[in-house]
Amino acid sequence: MFVKALDAAEIAPGGMKAVTINGREIVICNHAGTFYAVERACGHAKARLERGALTGWILTCPLHYAQFDIRSGEALSGPAPKAPAGAHPDPRDPALKTVGLKTWPARLEGGAVFVDVQ
Amino acid sequence: MSVEGRKKALRELFAPTVDRLGYKFTPNDEDADFLLEQLANIEAETGVPYCPCQARSKDRAADMRMVCPCIPFHRKHYDAMRRCWCGLFVHKDVTDPDSLRQIPEGRVK
Repeated sequence: MFVKALDAAEIAPGGMKAVTINGREIVICNHAGTFYAVERACGHAKARLERGALTGWILTCPLHYAQFDIRSGEALSGPAPKAPAGAHPDPRDPALKTVGLKTWPARLEGGAVFVDVQ
Repeated sequence: MSVEGRKKALRELFAPTVDRLGYKFTPNDEDADFLLEQLANIEAETGVPYCPCQARSKDRAADMRMVCPCIPFHRKHYDAMRRCWCGLFVHKDVTDPDSLRQIPEGRVK
């Protein structure tokens, strides 16, 4: 069942916004006027994806730069390598696999974005 | 993660960048597809899409100068050839990429 997520005017083309619907944390993405709904937690280290960057249909995570296709949720690349002098754990540690994002159908109707969260 | 998906993503990400630099993807689709596949494989292995046609060293700063698209780091050299070293990108006015040759950097005047 489609549920209203937000008004379309809340997200400019190329923008993203996080919403919670039925307890699920979702990021709504505006790609050239078409809206997509993807899981909020990154498929690598669970970072909040709406703080990343949307380049066309490619969503880049703000934490380690893993990339995802917002249309399908497919993981397009894993994290960037650890910086040489980095004090943090290696983001490419094999224990941290990068998996695709869950996606939900989204549609624009009467100036609002509706998402079918099952 | 699939190589095919990554190739499409690299095209999407690189096209606007090289456009601003006066370059475009080579019109030789077979070469472009092959080079994008090499980039996707190198990125899957190392985490960075290094140029598939340049040798990496143990000097990180030097290696960063060959991360695709590496045109800004070799502007004079590539402009003289009207293509980048591996040939994935050519000047916007190039229609016959096979006529362009690699010229060692030291021979560029």
